[in-house]
Amino acid sequence: MRRPPLVLVLVGLVVIALGETAGAVISQLRPQIAAYAQARVAANPQRHGLAGSAEYDAEVTARAVYAAEAGLSFFHTHAQGLGPLVILVSTVTASLVPWPRARGALYALFGLGALFPLGYLAYAIAAVEWGRDAGIEAVERSILTPLGSAAILGLVALGILLVTARIGRRAA
Amino acid sequence: MTGPGGDTWRLPPMASLLAAVLLIACAEAGGASMVRFKLELTRWARSVILARPATHGLVGVRDVDEQIIDEALVKFDASLRLFHLHAEGMGLVIIVTTMTAATLARPGLGRRALLVLLTAGGAGYPFGYLLWGALIPYQGLQTAKVLAEWLVWIPFGGAAIVATWWLAAVAGARVFRRA
Repeated sequence: MRRPPLVLVLVGLVVIALGETAGAVISQLRPQIAAYAQARVAANPQRHGLAGSAEYDAEVTARAVYAAEAGLSFFHTHAQGLGPLVILVSTVTASLVPWPRARGALYALFGLGALFPLGYLAYAIAAVEWGRDAGIEAVERSILTPLGSAAILGLVALGILLVTARIGRRAA
Repeated sequence: MTGPGGDTWRLPPMASLLAAVLLIACAEAGGASMVRFKLELTRWARSVILARPATHGLVGVRDVDEQIIDEALVKFDASLRLFHLHAEGMGLVIIVTTMTAATLARPGLGRRALLVLLTAGGAGYPFGYLLWGALIPYQGLQTAKVLAEWLVWIPFGGAAIVATWWLAAVAGARVFRRA
């Protein structure tokens, strides 16, 4: 099997390494992360709609902290999954797609798709900095959807190109 | 995935591939067993917990004890799920990272060390969740977690993390040199 460009392999490896490190950080520093998230929510009372009522504010804060922890957890799982996936599908691309321009386009799409898990880091930060709903919506719209779409588009295009290449080989 | 040229992947050592495949097989068997023997596993864990009231802080008041037992059983169930999830994922990570190490790292002690750390770290780490689950009924939540952390998660997980960053540095150096 042919190896994809080194840069793409490097991106995949860094994403895997970040995912592994995030898992360790989540496991070892959970109380510190929760405390930091609570402090950031308290520092942005208007964005979270804190009302000054202890019971209500505690519930709003807990929901925002939960969203931040979920973002970190999604980052860990998606990075561990997408890192290997990007290296493997790029290998398929390098080995079986005969057209250099098409390969280049696929590498670009997979490279962008590999960054998708980083969107969940932004998700975790935005949930406590910009308000839970507003932050999550902004990150989903501006980071997760474009990067996730790049990965999906790349995989669909790879499938189409593999079929086209096979038909071309048979016709020849 | 073999090939002598610079633009082809080299096959990782058979031991790494075998470890990865066995790990994925264990994960799948673990997932199936979790579903098939859920009731039996829960009953076993509950009986062991009830036989060790002091370890779990059971006080003999049904309302209080049931809450403690429920929490332990939720964590016991989570440990099996996490084993399944991590073993599936780390199997693939071992294949990809050892293939990359075999291709990009220079032959010698460094490459062998990388391959050992990636394989042993990746394959050993998920079994920490099995150990955690097995220890929860006997040792209680906190002791079980500490034991699993120090016996498996920190050494094996640490090895995998260090080796993956090391490999990323090797790949980064190659990219830099080419540029």
